[in-house]
Amino acid sequence: MAAKVASAALGAALLVAPHLLPTYYRSLALAILADVALAVSWAFFSGPTRYLSLATGAFFGAGAYTTAVVMARLPWPLPVVVAAAVAAAMALLVGTLALRLRGPYFAIFTFGLAELAKHTLIWYETGVTGTVGRLLLNPPDAVTLYYTVLGVAAVAVAIAVWLPRGRWGIALVGIGADEERAETLGIDTTRIKITVFALSAAVMGAVGGAMAPRWTYLDPQVFNPLVSFQTVIMALLGGATTVIGPVLGAVFLGLLSETLLLQFRYAYMLSLGLVLIAVVLLMPFGLAGLRRRRA
Amino acid sequence: MAQGGGDRSRGGAQAGLGVTLSPTLLLDVVIGGFTTGGIYALVALGLNLQYGLMRVLNVAHGEFLMLGAYVTFSLHTGWGVNPLLTLLITGPTAFAVGLALHRLLYAPLLAGEAAESLESRSLLLSFGLMFVLQNAALLIWSADLKGYSYLAIPLRWLGTVFPANRVLAAAIALALGVAFYVYLRYSLTGKAVRALMQEPEGAQLVGIQTSRIHGLCFGAGLAMSAVTGSLVSMLFELTPFMGLPYTVTALVVVILGGLGNMVGCLMAGLLLGLVETAGVYLASSDIRLISSYAVLSLILVLKPSGLFGR
Repeated sequence: MAAKVASAALGAALLVAPHLLPTYYRSLALAILADVALAVSWAFFSGPTRYLSLATGAFFGAGAYTTAVVMARLPWPLPVVVAAAVAAAMALLVGTLALRLRGPYFAIFTFGLAELAKHTLIWYETGVTGTVGRLLLNPPDAVTLYYTVLGVAAVAVAIAVWLPRGRWGIALVGIGADEERAETLGIDTTRIKITVFALSAAVMGAVGGAMAPRWTYLDPQVFNPLVSFQTVIMALLGGATTVIGPVLGAVFLGLLSETLLLQFRYAYMLSLGLVLIAVVLLMPFGLAGLRRRRA
Repeated sequence: MAQGGGDRSRGGAQAGLGVTLSPTLLLDVVIGGFTTGGIYALVALGLNLQYGLMRVLNVAHGEFLMLGAYVTFSLHTGWGVNPLLTLLITGPTAFAVGLALHRLLYAPLLAGEAAESLESRSLLLSFGLMFVLQNAALLIWSADLKGYSYLAIPLRWLGTVFPANRVLAAAIALALGVAFYVYLRYSLTGKAVRALMQEPEGAQLVGIQTSRIHGLCFGAGLAMSAVTGSLVSMLFELTPFMGLPYTVTALVVVILGGLGNMVGCLMAGLLLGLVETAGVYLASSDIRLISSYAVLSLILVLKPSGLFGR
């Protein structure tokens, strides 16, 4: 009951926030909501299945680039939908190839994917279209962007809350525990894995699509492997097998990165590395895991 | 465009369909391929040693190459030390760092109870290490390109021209690679390493100290990477971001050659060097990164055990 009241209050606060907050804090809230959406959508696939995906940057970048290409032709929320669809299509293709791989092979493959997409796009843009970047003219106003990202984050959290309650959620945990046994029990593991992977990619693509208008100029560097790592760190820091974990991790690291990244860029990245090492060594189940172990 | 010592500008001038396969061009590709391949083979050997033995994939491998290159650069430009002599500093230092890192980071992880998530967690660990090292280098040496010139004398042979430093670097790299292979094959420690690779539990039963060998191999792997860095610094300009492409190349080589397969690794390094050089001559140099990621993805999907694997 208390949890429901709290989340209702939080939801109301998030809804009125853009009208009350000064510009800087509104854009800070926007960035953190985007991080929450990324971390939650990463965790609802990779958490239970334990497939370590480093493709977040690729899906985010694909979404952002899609918006940059179609924004001038479509009315506002539609580019985000197209971005989600493009990222999901990419995930279907990649998932079909890559989800046969396990462990570090899968991680390396997904990491290579973002780099492959980036370099192919650079090559294509310089060789075929003759440009290296795209201008985003007439972006929607800041409040509209805020609500768009809030909507995407809400969808991500809703999926993360509902997915574990159904048969698919149980199947995902089964895949993570012992994939062969899950298959023997009659679970169509391939179909479930690829569908949920595409679902999480769709959210990531939507985040990229919704965040793209914040930059007026976009180039293939938007396929940034840092996005992939930050997402993993956020989710693992919070605890990837819960819903609240990635949210907490995203808020914590989002605040940290937005305040420190511009002033002490290299020192921040360096400490991010140290945090990652500490998390891996000391907290295998994240912040949420600490509480669970004590209980 | 004259064909000079700057090997990155090559290829562009000869691009197009008008390329004829003259014996000179063929020799160019073969020598160029072997010089590139020798360097690839040595980096990859280090990575393969770590992965083949501990099942720990060290993504920060290339970062040690970058550090080795910068240390050589600083020693050479600051104190006038001969770049070749710095190998005697970068190699042993990296070995000691490797021993310490193994003791501090990897040994606790390998001893932990969650064995099935070991590979993912060690991967994340090395990504953390990569962030730390790369940004430490940025803080120390800044993001500007650094470089120096050493032995950039043209060698002429059968109508082709090659800078002496490239040939020398590749020869040293290959010699070190082969020497390491011989050591692994015939020394007692080398036998212990191979026993641990083939049959971890059996090796422990006959009294091989797993943790000690793991530490030694982790150190040896990093030393190979740092030494390659010292060699590479004679040839190319340095940036703090130069490590990751080498890690990716080393991964491609390791996966091509088969995990834990040292001969396969040497062969695959040379093969990749040849293929890449031929590609740069016949198409364009932009294609290099795309092709190595594409090859990596294809091999992973089609034949995860490697070309020379069983």
